[in-house]
Amino acid sequence: MHEVFEHTADLGLRVTSATLDGLFAEAGIGLFEIIAGDTTQIRPRLERAFDVPGIDPAWLLLDWTTELLAAFETERWLFREFTVTVHERGLHATARGEPYDPAIHTLAHEVKAVTQHELDVCRTATGWEATLIVDI
Amino acid sequence: MTAADRSFTGPLERVDECCYRIPKSYKPGMRADGLVFADERLIDLVRGDQAAEQVANVAFLPGIQTASLAMPDIHWGYGFCIGGVCATDPAAGGVVSPGGVGYDINCGVRLVRTNLSLADVRPALVTLVNQLIRDVPVGVGQGGRHVFSPPELRQLMREGVEYLLHRGLATDDDLACTEAEGCLADARPELVSDRALARGQDQCGTVGAGNHFIEVQVVDRIEDDRAAAAFGLAPDQICVLIHSGSRGLGYQVCDDALRALRDAPARYGIALPDRQLVCAPVASPEGEHYLGAMRAAANYAFCNRQLLMAQVRDVFARVFGRPWESLGMELVYDVAHNIAKFEEHAVGDTRKEVCVHRKGATRAFPAGHHDIPDRYRAVGQPVIIPGDMGRASWVLVGGPRSLERSFGTTCHGAGRCLSRTAATRAAAGRDIRRELERSGVIARSRSREGLAEEQPAAYKDVDLVVDVVHRAGLSTKVARLRPLGVIKG
Repeated sequence: MHEVFEHTADLGLRVTSATLDGLFAEAGIGLFEIIAGDTTQIRPRLERAFDVPGIDPAWLLLDWTTELLAAFETERWLFREFTVTVHERGLHATARGEPYDPAIHTLAHEVKAVTQHELDVCRTATGWEATLIVDI
Repeated sequence: MTAADRSFTGPLERVDECCYRIPKSYKPGMRADGLVFADERLIDLVRGDQAAEQVANVAFLPGIQTASLAMPDIHWGYGFCIGGVCATDPAAGGVVSPGGVGYDINCGVRLVRTNLSLADVRPALVTLVNQLIRDVPVGVGQGGRHVFSPPELRQLMREGVEYLLHRGLATDDDLACTEAEGCLADARPELVSDRALARGQDQCGTVGAGNHFIEVQVVDRIEDDRAAAAFGLAPDQICVLIHSGSRGLGYQVCDDALRALRDAPARYGIALPDRQLVCAPVASPEGEHYLGAMRAAANYAFCNRQLLMAQVRDVFARVFGRPWESLGMELVYDVAHNIAKFEEHAVGDTRKEVCVHRKGATRAFPAGHHDIPDRYRAVGQPVIIPGDMGRASWVLVGGPRSLERSFGTTCHGAGRCLSRTAATRAAAGRDIRRELERSGVIARSRSREGLAEEQPAAYKDVDLVVDVVHRAGLSTKVARLRPLGVIKG
């Protein structure tokens, strides 16, 4: 699950999942919901693989979402589905979506970056919770 | 968590009618007081979120001089508040912090005047705004007509607006009326990453989204005849205000720096209350690396606004059937509000060169300062303050007390008072575009979110904000401008 929460100038994203793999997948969905608004307009017809190194879960979350943002910014990728495996040296992920096409897709926000402000990944009684704030 | 849970409960002690203090004793680790420029009408808004806490956090930075400052348009940012000013002394271990500049390096504004009156433009206003949104790239995912190869981008970042002058896209007057003449010295484009170049290759000359815009405005009233005459402004005159920054290239330069500096605080023994305040000594390889890349991105931003102005001139020429020169479309001034610069300032009894971080804050040098263009030196530096798309914007002039009180700095806008989510909720079931039209403003946006999140009620009343900096002597009122048409992402 994920929810967008209030931040005066920007947008916050709070993500929960039973597993760390699920947490990172859900964060990807949340990010593209902020960028595109409705992610159901994105057809999961193409795949792209990501390998992101990192040990600390919070930094890994930042680096993972930053890689996704770069894929949108430099290659116009819009993603809707993610399969993520976190391992001891980082994560491997498969993201499914398609390139941005202004004839098909509407976009909602220009995300400048995923910030380190209040960045957090922690365990909860039911699994994992993450907080991140994106600069709009 | 709601906004109400995030209000500031720390001390804000009244210093004078326009200033409140967060004493150094508030948090162990603060090296200086925090000072917030606000009056009794604005201070409750300041208490409403965590921006004042961020003012206190910035006071942790090594080498900070005098105080951690905030302008009356202060609101909650990431690391630094928006509206924050921090000067550090490199000779005293002072640091540079990319968060003190922000992701949008050299986000700024430029004001273009015309010789058109409201009566000239009113009949063509809808056509004009429609043509602007058709011809000027605006919104998420919108590339521009200018695409630069990596070598071209590096040259552009080294030379700034002069690069465009050589290509017939700028004039000598444009350069003269741009802060730093459109080029920060000591830019190091070779330190800008390939990813930043990729993000920036087709974005120079694009507005972007968020709070960026192009507005057609009319001079509503003049408050300072002498300065207005120097700036070429008169009642009923049509102007164009352009607000944008360094686009994806600058965002990436900041992001790259934050990543490179992750371990720097530990390496240099710097304790920080927020990891977004990550920093390194100015006099360190990491600090110099960031400053070189930041200046390159700043030069890209000057070029972005220059290319936007060139496109606006073309649109006016098309709509009014005359060359832009005959429409008197001259640049009044272009000024940055997200930047770090080395400047000489008086600190206590001594003068020293400090690194002034302005994060959502505008340089506002008073009359006589050597960094002001010759044509404006007798009256002071023009300061351009965008308000919101429904009420007003302002032209101010650098104030007599800006150097002593705020390292030559003033506010940069109205400042948000509603979060984006709260603004969207407030817009539910309403037609913001129609509401604006009823109040005489033609608004065009590429996205529903663009108008809802940026609606006038999302911002403080810019008249109140400007009144504080005026009374505090940071910058004084010259002209109030009223919006007529706006394009947004």
